[in-house]
Amino acid sequence: MPYVVTDLCAGCRYTECVSVCPVECFHIDDTMTYIDPENCIDCGGCVPACPVGAIKAAHKLPPDKVEWVETNRRRAAETPVVTSRLPPLPGADERKRAIIRR
Amino acid sequence: MAQSLVVGACPHDCPDTCSILTTVEDGKAVAVRGNPDHPFTRGRLCVKVNNYEERVYSEQRVLYPLKRVGAKGSGSFNRISWEEALREIATRWRTIIAESGAEAILPYSYLGTQGIINGLNVGDPLFNKLGASVSERTFCDSASCTAYMMTIGHTPGVDPESFVHSKYIILWACNTLSTNSHHWPFIEKARKAGAKLVVIDPVRTRTAGLADWHIQIRPGTDCALALAMIHIVVKENLVDHDYIDKHTIGFDELAARAESYTPEFAARETGIPAPDIVKLAREYATTPPAVVRIGVAVERHAGGGQTVRAIACLPALIGAWKHVGGGLLQLPIWAFPVNWPTLMRPDLQPAKMRVINTWRLGAALTGDLPAGPPIKSLVVYNANPMAMVTEQDKLERGLAREDLFTVVSEHFLTDTAKYADIVLPATTQLEQKDIMFSWGHLYLSYNNPAIAPLGEAVSNTELFRRLAAAMDIDDPFFFRSDDEMIEASMDWANPALQGISMEQLKQTGFARLSLQGPDEWAPHRDGNFPTPSGKCEFKSSIAEGGNFVVPLFRQGYGADQAGEPVDPLPHYIAPNENPATAPMKAEHYPLNLISPKSHAFLNSNYGNLPAQQVLAGEQQMVILHPEDAGSRGIVAGSPIRVFNERGSFEAFATLSADVMRGVVVAPAGYWHRSNRRGATVHAVTPPAYADLGRAPTFSDVLVQVATA
Repeated sequence: MPYVVTDLCAGCRYTECVSVCPVECFHIDDTMTYIDPENCIDCGGCVPACPVGAIKAAHKLPPDKVEWVETNRRRAAETPVVTSRLPPLPGADERKRAIIRR
Repeated sequence: MAQSLVVGACPHDCPDTCSILTTVEDGKAVAVRGNPDHPFTRGRLCVKVNNYEERVYSEQRVLYPLKRVGAKGSGSFNRISWEEALREIATRWRTIIAESGAEAILPYSYLGTQGIINGLNVGDPLFNKLGASVSERTFCDSASCTAYMMTIGHTPGVDPESFVHSKYIILWACNTLSTNSHHWPFIEKARKAGAKLVVIDPVRTRTAGLADWHIQIRPGTDCALALAMIHIVVKENLVDHDYIDKHTIGFDELAARAESYTPEFAARETGIPAPDIVKLAREYATTPPAVVRIGVAVERHAGGGQTVRAIACLPALIGAWKHVGGGLLQLPIWAFPVNWPTLMRPDLQPAKMRVINTWRLGAALTGDLPAGPPIKSLVVYNANPMAMVTEQDKLERGLAREDLFTVVSEHFLTDTAKYADIVLPATTQLEQKDIMFSWGHLYLSYNNPAIAPLGEAVSNTELFRRLAAAMDIDDPFFFRSDDEMIEASMDWANPALQGISMEQLKQTGFARLSLQGPDEWAPHRDGNFPTPSGKCEFKSSIAEGGNFVVPLFRQGYGADQAGEPVDPLPHYIAPNENPATAPMKAEHYPLNLISPKSHAFLNSNYGNLPAQQVLAGEQQMVILHPEDAGSRGIVAGSPIRVFNERGSFEAFATLSADVMRGVVVAPAGYWHRSNRRGATVHAVTPPAYADLGRAPTFSDVLVQVATA
């Protein structure tokens, strides 16, 4: 089981993950990124790259986040690949500070 | 909470040798991550090592010396002190040496760590001094090294980072995304600049799935393809005559030899359509810079050595070496000026030693030996033979011998360690100091210890200091500190290390060898091959000396080489076991089995750890083509038995059209005890040597598969 982007991404969508990924397995929509489980090689480089810690190994998800495994698979199939870093969504830095304070 | 970041390097048997940053809080390692500052690591590790701290602190770790109390193999041990363990070992060894001679002692090791001071050669000086049997360790790359030496010498070849300049890239028997993943971005960059990527592999691996052209080839027939490529470039005059005249010898003989290796011949052997073979040769020869990267898997069959001989001839034929990003990449380790003789100390050896090839350990322990005494003591470190060598039933019988005194140094109670009389606890990479070469890039690395050793675990260097003391050796060489050993391990005066200071190396954790940069370096633009003639030897002068194993894999012992005659020119040796070469065997066992590395394991490392077992499955899985499964009534996920005349193992079936019809894939590394009926893929693999370097033929085997 590969890595999974969780809801912590939504609202920030920093895309630091994209710049680290060696196999371009990230997909994107207006809210967040998704990892294509077929292409992910489990390198784990995206995990420390994410400023808000939104990415986890699939088998390490807490029970309330397990649904994100299927969401990543489904949404990766429905959305385009993103190959380079983009500006984060408006308000991302404030949201990040709030998450880190928690 | 005092937190610090310690820079180190991955210990594993992998070309990527990543730079690792370990976060330490109050003396405990809490996380590891790839070093973003290392140009090859680039902030990423891999599925094996991402949670390395979980390996370090696993409750399965052996942290104290153990002494067997139950039957051999029962895994029943009591904790003892180091003093008692060493006393017992020394007493038993002295008795064995007095009764049978030191040749009755056999060390067995490989690359549990490939650190320069804790790795391949750490035990060699002691066992050389004792006069123990020489362990000839040819598990991996041995045929390739011998073939390489015969053709282009011990050259590092093309810098992997130079691939960004290549326009035609062939990954031959290499699943880059699983076993060399840090190389991928350089290949990807080349593709974005217009390079064509060709992957040659019986299986549509992750890597093959991303290729521009995946060429599926019958296992073990790669030499036919390479020889046909030689045939085509010669016949169609796509060769670089200027480069050939100046920097090669034996072209006329090679051309004559290649005449019979037509595309049609190769098509029959490989299953690749002849027009594709012609297209590959033409594209390869006319799209400079063209580079071939060979993987270890290319040699694991009867003709593995000649396969690398043939492939190694190709770049010189087309003048590929003239360009940055053109040539061959196999083992950049040869760029590192390591003081191998100082590590191995062959000068300590008695004049004559007995050589035992250790991937045939089962045979050696059950009496199938060259002249000399039976093995009375086995010393295992940095290795797990129960998972990784052939003839496992013999190995089990051998390890179960009550008259065999077995010492195993380990992190865990592996299937091998369970047969030990004494188990000794070893440190992980976070608990020890080392300096690392790489066999996949050109960076020297330093591993700073991040934490103190757990329990009573010791580094291999400390283990062998203690064993030397226990055996009353008084030569101060055997009692040098780790720092002294590191200092002595490298030839610091060598130009490749110019400008690299130990202080800087310890601080940054890595330094690129002082060679030309990847945008300028074409190591054989003007020939300069480290061969006897200084040229690429299509007709090999070294071959006249017969078959040999490079001394690095034999504790530095150069004598008593196999010495069988070797044809000075490349030629095709068909696999021992496929339906064409062994039709009677194929009637009962019609499928070819290959055993590549598992994506989530590193050899058998991590086969016992939960994070990796989640990905690989806790039990062996075997991949079959849906048609081969369907005709046998096998459904996905069901238990199956894989068998031939040597034995059998059980696994769970995965069905995939990524695998060729007639080919079965059983990734290696699963532990014996994890599998149904407790056997691994090596219950069926053959003991036959490949043609060169005494390499194994683990992927040259016929099997049958049935529902279990």
